[in-house]
Amino acid sequence: MENGVKGTVTPLASVFPVEGAQKAAKRVQETLANRQKELDYVHNFVVDNTNLVNLVQRLPDELSHDVMVPFGTVAFFPGRLIHTNEFLVLLGEGYYVERTSRQTIEILQRRGKVLQEQVDSLKATIEDLKIEASFFDTTAIEAAEGLVEIREDCVEESPLEERANQSGVSKSVGSFEDNTKDATEDEEYARMMARLDELEKVELAAESNDEDGDEDFCSSISPHAFDHHLSDLMDSVQQTEDKRAINTTTEYPLQNIGLKQDFVKQSAIEDLGVPLMPKEKPISVEKPLLSPGLRKKVDLSTASRTEVAEDKSTSYRSETGSNSSKAFTGSIVEHTHGLQTKSVGQTTTSQPSKPVSRFKMQKGGR
Amino acid sequence: MDEIRENKVQRFEEFIDCRLKPDLVRAIAERDKVFEQQKIFLDLKRNIENLEKNDVTSLRTLVNLGSEVYMQADVPDTQHIFVDIGLGFHVEFTWSEALEFISKKEERLDRQIEEYTQLIASIKAQIKLVYEGIRELLELSADRSY
Repeated sequence: MENGVKGTVTPLASVFPVEGAQKAAKRVQETLANRQKELDYVHNFVVDNTNLVNLVQRLPDELSHDVMVPFGTVAFFPGRLIHTNEFLVLLGEGYYVERTSRQTIEILQRRGKVLQEQVDSLKATIEDLKIEASFFDTTAIEAAEGLVEIREDCVEESPLEERANQSGVSKSVGSFEDNTKDATEDEEYARMMARLDELEKVELAAESNDEDGDEDFCSSISPHAFDHHLSDLMDSVQQTEDKRAINTTTEYPLQNIGLKQDFVKQSAIEDLGVPLMPKEKPISVEKPLLSPGLRKKVDLSTASRTEVAEDKSTSYRSETGSNSSKAFTGSIVEHTHGLQTKSVGQTTTSQPSKPVSRFKMQKGGR
Repeated sequence: MDEIRENKVQRFEEFIDCRLKPDLVRAIAERDKVFEQQKIFLDLKRNIENLEKNDVTSLRTLVNLGSEVYMQADVPDTQHIFVDIGLGFHVEFTWSEALEFISKKEERLDRQIEEYTQLIASIKAQIKLVYEGIRELLELSADRSY
């Protein structure tokens, strides 16, 4: 283990207990079986409906048909079907209608459509359940095998890459394939984290006085998918910064709520032409003087955020540290009174951090 | 000693829950089926008696084609009726023959119901017995602990 590189090694079994995963898998299987039964049931209805349509189509061909007319459930009378074009159809709730053959067929076809929709929705549910079941199965297997999750904080960029290489190899526990996997993954994350750190430092230096209380929706760490690690690593770093931000300014907590609404308006005004993820950044309602500068800032940050959300390479400025962890549940960092004076400076300072802010925004985008 | 008793108590309870109670449920379900058959034949008998009383020779009914779509049907001659006597056979009867058959069928159904009722009663008695045993064990173990 290298010095200065903090890391955690958590066996997957501790996060997802083996029995728990197996129980969950069983429950999902049961639900799957139930849905399958329902699907068969509805499918039978569909088949019956089709048969009936065929029958109703053929009946008017003759004036009368010789049939055995049931008399209760266990007795029949020999008889004839008459008025072969007249059908009495139950519409439900005790309402009956007399219809001709063609009209009855139309009714039945409409019923068939409804049934088909039910079948389709049930099929979709079953598909989802199957995916869930397979996920639980693999998790249970992995947890039983003793798969271990390794998490590291990134410290610096270039030296960390080497360290990550080594640490990835030395730290990995568990199956052999996971070793190499962890190594390469750790490298990437280390690199990204280093860049993020640079950006954070720049932004924090500029924003140190202006950060409001954040609404921090940093998600809990979701370990099982490696591609979540990046966002989570970013989140963990962001969390530390958020705490700093919260400590510096907690002056306008109430504003944030009103700020949100105002932000929505302002974002509409900005008209970036891209789908925004607003409602996360509050804007100072009580400082109308700031709004031009603020708007500009917001413009920049939303632009950057949305671009990252769309994974574009160009990004604008990103003074306001975006603390959102998951999509649409972002945190809010807002600058209020110090903004006006600093906005110009911030825009200029933030420009050099353009290429790097993307990652920060990417975190905000998730 | 107490542990042994507790084990016994637990085993008895399991026996009740896993064997006797499901048996009881199944027996009751079977008896209900026979009840239904009985009801069907009773209705049929009433209908035939009605036809006879009113001297109905022809009949106009609505036949269910499936999914509650009905069509008119005409029965010109109601003298002959086909009755399901079981095992997939339908026999052509006149009214009086049909009524005779139905009464015989009803006797048989009554006997079946009687059998099922006895079976249910015996299962219930067994359940009560095991409960008593459990209670004795518990009381004894409670006495012991004093």
